[in-house]
Amino acid sequence: MSEMSGPLVVPSAGAAEIAFGVEHEIAPEDPITPPGRWMRENLFSSWSNGIQTVLFAAILIGILKWLLNLVFAEESDWASVATNIRLLFAYNYPVEQFVRVWVSLGTLLAAAGLSIAAWNLDLSFTLRKLGINTATGGGVLVLVGILTPGTAPSDVRAGMFVLGAILLVIGLAVLFGVKDPHRKRIPFEALLISVAGLVVAFVWLFPLGRYEFAGDEASYASGTINISTKGPWTVMMIVLVASFLVGKALGRVLPSGALKGVMAAFWVIGPAFLIFVVLRDPAFDWGYVWAVDVPMALGFALLGGGVLYFLTKPGLGELGRIIGAVLFGVAVFNWVAAFFGLYPMLQKGRISFMLLAVFAILAPTFAGERAARLRFATGWAVLVVVMHWLITAINTPSTLEIVAPPFLGGFILSVSIAYYVMLASFPLGILLALARTSKLPIFRVMSTVYIEILRGVPLITILFFFSIMLNLFLPGGMSISELAAIFTGYSLFSAAYMAENIRGGLQAIRRGQYEASDALGLTTVQRTMFIVLPQALRVTIPNLVGQAIATFKETSLVSIVGGFELVRIANQTIPNQPDYIGQNRPALLFISLVFWAFSYSMSRASRSLEQHLGVGTGR
Amino acid sequence: MSMSDANIALSAEMAARDNMITCRGVKKWFGDFQALTGVDLTVKDREVMVVLGPSGSGKSTLIRCINRLEVHQEGQIVVDGIELTNDLRNIDKIRSEVGMVFQQFNLFPHLTVLDNITLAPVWVRKKSKVEAEATAHELLERVGIPEQAAKYPGQLSGGQQQRVAIARSLAMEPKVMLFDEPTSALDPEMISEVLDVMKDLANGGMTMIVVTHEMGFAREVADRVVFMEAGNVVEINEPEAFFTNPVSDRTKLFLSQIL
Ligand SMILES: Nc1ncnc2c1ncn2[C@@H]1O[C@H](COP(=O)(O)OP(=O)(O)OP(=O)(O)O)[C@@H](O)[C@H]1O
Ligand SMILES: [Mg+2]
Repeated sequence: MSEMSGPLVVPSAGAAEIAFGVEHEIAPEDPITPPGRWMRENLFSSWSNGIQTVLFAAILIGILKWLLNLVFAEESDWASVATNIRLLFAYNYPVEQFVRVWVSLGTLLAAAGLSIAAWNLDLSFTLRKLGINTATGGGVLVLVGILTPGTAPSDVRAGMFVLGAILLVIGLAVLFGVKDPHRKRIPFEALLISVAGLVVAFVWLFPLGRYEFAGDEASYASGTINISTKGPWTVMMIVLVASFLVGKALGRVLPSGALKGVMAAFWVIGPAFLIFVVLRDPAFDWGYVWAVDVPMALGFALLGGGVLYFLTKPGLGELGRIIGAVLFGVAVFNWVAAFFGLYPMLQKGRISFMLLAVFAILAPTFAGERAARLRFATGWAVLVVVMHWLITAINTPSTLEIVAPPFLGGFILSVSIAYYVMLASFPLGILLALARTSKLPIFRVMSTVYIEILRGVPLITILFFFSIMLNLFLPGGMSISELAAIFTGYSLFSAAYMAENIRGGLQAIRRGQYEASDALGLTTVQRTMFIVLPQALRVTIPNLVGQAIATFKETSLVSIVGGFELVRIANQTIPNQPDYIGQNRPALLFISLVFWAFSYSMSRASRSLEQHLGVGTGR
Repeated sequence: MSMSDANIALSAEMAARDNMITCRGVKKWFGDFQALTGVDLTVKDREVMVVLGPSGSGKSTLIRCINRLEVHQEGQIVVDGIELTNDLRNIDKIRSEVGMVFQQFNLFPHLTVLDNITLAPVWVRKKSKVEAEATAHELLERVGIPEQAAKYPGQLSGGQQQRVAIARSLAMEPKVMLFDEPTSALDPEMISEVLDVMKDLANGGMTMIVVTHEMGFAREVADRVVFMEAGNVVEINEPEAFFTNPVSDRTKLFLSQIL
């Protein structure tokens, strides 16, 4: 006890010394408690505590035993999962075009490596943490081996014992064999390279067996997995490691923030490109593209950029506001005209015009010196060109020859939808939250009505409504694909929840922050963007990640309106294959594991993000 | 009170200066509660005015009306020739000319000290980032903490935070600075470092209105001291006369309680 309270009684002069950067002593080692003592202190400190421990252990073991019985039940044919991995991952994506999937995955991994380097995320581990995790993992594996029923193949069971014992020994050796394990860190580079190396070694050496569909028949051969799988995975791991190292090197050369900016932009538009350009492979009609699409995009980029450059001139005053209002009026009228069929205009023209109006209205906020104005105008130009390219790509027929039409399915579909639903509902949720807390009653009422209606309706209803009915309500000449309709409906639904989460964050901001901003003369928009939202969103991170996890899991509802996502494939497609009639249990267990692994990593990532952002805010 | 009353206790030199702030019959209600009951007050260019008064007498309300953090319902407030009305352009103009320092500092916790100071000059004054940062470093030097630019407010002591808050206001090159009990949230040993910065400012010719309980500061720095009670000005005088020879009974009672 006296040891523990030691740091608390240090005289305050010591604290002052530390604050002024004077050398101070290293904190004493936090000793590793031997397992026996740890158990005595934490699990069996009293009679009632001991009884609870035993009870919970019994329940946990019971659940584990039950799960293992399910997994290794005689009627569970795990070949149904092994053979159908590709189906679960990418649904019917044509095998001869699969290089596109690998290119997409590789791009994402490269971006991940670069981003980790750009944000300088410290994902290093202490040896102590590594030791504890390894030993715990090994222990659990041995326990699983003990509880595994006799129906399991004997080599699987033996494998668990061997692997579990090895991990346990390594973990304990690290914990008790190394001096000061809590102070020695494994650098992230080393961690990344070893994980990548382990994955590569696993796919090349581990005899998982070779499962595939030959023609329509499932076939199996022993040995390591197919070269068409292990080859690409090897490349993927090399890409990941290499991109991280390249990112580190770039960070030393480029001005700080440059790589971050590029990567942030990538995470917004990159995935859409991979989906609609790489995976979908649109058959562009180049004559039309050069005659219509390119001039239109460039026109908006250059003329709009010029207008915005003018509008960001400081001290434009009334004139700027009038131009903004006029542009907004025209933009709105374009849509009205579309409903009454007054004049033809490409949809992307209407969208661009609306976006330009929004930029024009924001322009006075971003007014400043030449460099700032150029940045604003360039940002607009890049955004418009990218948007036009995307819209063109989406509206161009695909070259893919797909057996059953939706070109996205399985895991890719779930992840894509969840990702872009979150991305789209984020700005919408922010706007709704701001409107709901606004001083103007009309905004408040509109936002409240929207939020309460969408939160009061089941997601399924909304998905049905959008996938089936939306096209009936759109004016003549406009139509929207089923995927886009589902995505729109889901985003609007999600935005309502997002708004409520963000509103919680907004309420956490003290009044003094508003007063200080006002006293400095910031406009309402500036106050919101630079002071209020950054603080509110930080507070909201745990809730937002919770929502992201829910959004990801609920993509399974997409199956009901025709999407081939994981649950539908596991529960309908696989059990209907001639080789695996009725086999839905292994696939359902497998996708549960996939969902869980993904959700769990998201919540872990959120925790480190919080810590990362929490640094220095002093709260 | 008439206009001449509002100018009482001014030396001839001071009376000849321009009016920086003029309040005429300012009234302010919170719901049914009247917090200001018709305040008349004139602050001259480069004058330092200290506002005293018991808790709840309306000191904060008055200075918050001067930069429109609160909206007065009746009367007139003119700052540097601009009248405060509902016209947004006037409000923006006055806010960028009137700096305010709060009891609770109100620094932006998610921004570094440097960003706290440069934010408004860049986005409101439309200065270039480079220029704004150069000014910020000069100001930090002036308030005595040049080495803290890269830190976050949460990593500073209270006194340091308040000095950053002063630097943040000064970065807007205000003509008037309002202080609402700038040292009340500070530990005793940090009070003087903030008061020293304020003294420097006063000696540099800044027009200031300071709500404070620091009587030493009032005596040493103030050109005039104002005593408020129940939403109005009870007494205005030069500090020496105010402290040694108060006129109203209410002032005498107040001084006897706190001195
Ligand atoms: N936002 C508000 N809503 C309602 N009443 C308020 C509000 N702000 C102030 N008041 C009331 O107005 C009166 C004057 O308040 P003010 O804060 O100006 O006093 P003060 O002189 O600054 O006091 P202190 O020395 O305690 O800071 C008080 O009675 C207070 O309760
Ligand atoms: Mg007060």
